[in-house]
Amino acid sequence: MYKLIEFIRRSYVTILFVILEIAAINYYAHSTPYTRARLLASANSVFGGVHGVISGFGEYFSLARENRILTARVAELEQQLTVCREAAGDVGFEPAELQYEFMPARVVSNSINRSHNFITLNRGLRDGVVNDMAVLSPSGAIVGYILDCSERYSVAISVLNTSFRTSGKIAGDGYSGSIEWRSDNPHKVTMYELSKYANIEVGAQVVTTGFSHYFPADLPIGTIEDFRMKEDNTAYTATVRLATDFTKLHNVLLVKNIGQGEVMQLEEDVKLTTH
Amino acid sequence: MTLRMFSAIRYILLFIVTILFQIFFFDRLSLSVFFAPMIYTLFIIMLPVNTSSAATLACGLVTGVTMDIAMGTAGLNTIATLAVSYLRRPLLSFIVGRDGLREVGAPSPKRMGNRQFFEFIAAMVVIHGAVFNLFEVFSATNIVYTLLRFTVSTLASLLFIWLLGRLFTYKSASTL
Repeated sequence: MYKLIEFIRRSYVTILFVILEIAAINYYAHSTPYTRARLLASANSVFGGVHGVISGFGEYFSLARENRILTARVAELEQQLTVCREAAGDVGFEPAELQYEFMPARVVSNSINRSHNFITLNRGLRDGVVNDMAVLSPSGAIVGYILDCSERYSVAISVLNTSFRTSGKIAGDGYSGSIEWRSDNPHKVTMYELSKYANIEVGAQVVTTGFSHYFPADLPIGTIEDFRMKEDNTAYTATVRLATDFTKLHNVLLVKNIGQGEVMQLEEDVKLTTH
Repeated sequence: MTLRMFSAIRYILLFIVTILFQIFFFDRLSLSVFFAPMIYTLFIIMLPVNTSSAATLACGLVTGVTMDIAMGTAGLNTIATLAVSYLRRPLLSFIVGRDGLREVGAPSPKRMGNRQFFEFIAAMVVIHGAVFNLFEVFSATNIVYTLLRFTVSTLASLLFIWLLGRLFTYKSASTL
């Protein structure tokens, strides 16, 4: 007994270290992107304000560039609107119920130098932000989707996160592949398992498929920069240059899929009945 | 004000300043995917040489948990800071000898010699970076990129911590 007490007295720091380390490893091993986003969302109640001020300064210097992008985007949308109006006028078209709702937001903090990068936005629960909303760049390209919200801030998983997955296809083509970030370059992602029958060429535009719960269909992801056939000749692996520049991301658009809740509920019901 | 209190306040300030510097400056740098210096370990490195193992471990735990919440890393920083905190005393003992461990103030070039001071900082930064990246790689896809990130970031951390460590101990080497 005495020996045991003496052993504990002499090595209690080591015992304490082992216990704490195991607890930390256990917590980390069981963490998901959602756990991380929750931590960031809670930290934002303390640090969010300061991050906002700092990013405000940074944004000031990129105003001219942002302005150019926005003007170009307005021109492009005006053009589309004119075409749509003309078409609608011809057939007496009544607008359908809206499927998507858009909301602008400002990037408060954004990292690119981790393997799991997240983006904090200055819109939260009080602004109507909910989990799983898509995050797009001002020009409409994909940026990520919301994982967690606090009252005033929300945290989105970035495309530049090794846990991020979505599906993409060559614009105007039916075959889809899986989009993943390999953590080597903030401007490129990799598209895996794109069918060998896909109409692929360097410079082709890659867009979202609409299969994902988060992104509407046909949003730009990037352009094909390079591609090769897999060794077993079944599919292509392609390098895609992202349409969004994550190193200069200041403003984004949040997209709420109004029918998403219903779709998820249906899928949940199907899962329950088939298991 | 007693010297002890003065020293405690300095360390509390060092803790706050390094953490704010990490969160609001280094974590916001978007220079490269491989450039992620971690300078908050400066606080653990600069603790007085004679700090007990238990107190060092407690400081490591507080630093790690704070950074995990701020960076959303869910335990990764705590795993790394606990490891360097636990190994700090054995490392110091190895570098400056058992007698050197009775020194009262912060590790400094004046107290330890330039070479030993650098060796100590380098060992702490490398261990921290290695543990951090080792655990991060379990969930990352490519080991080559992780190694590259570890090398670039550790060298950058080392440079910044060495500079800041010299700054922290510049005037106070005799008083702390």
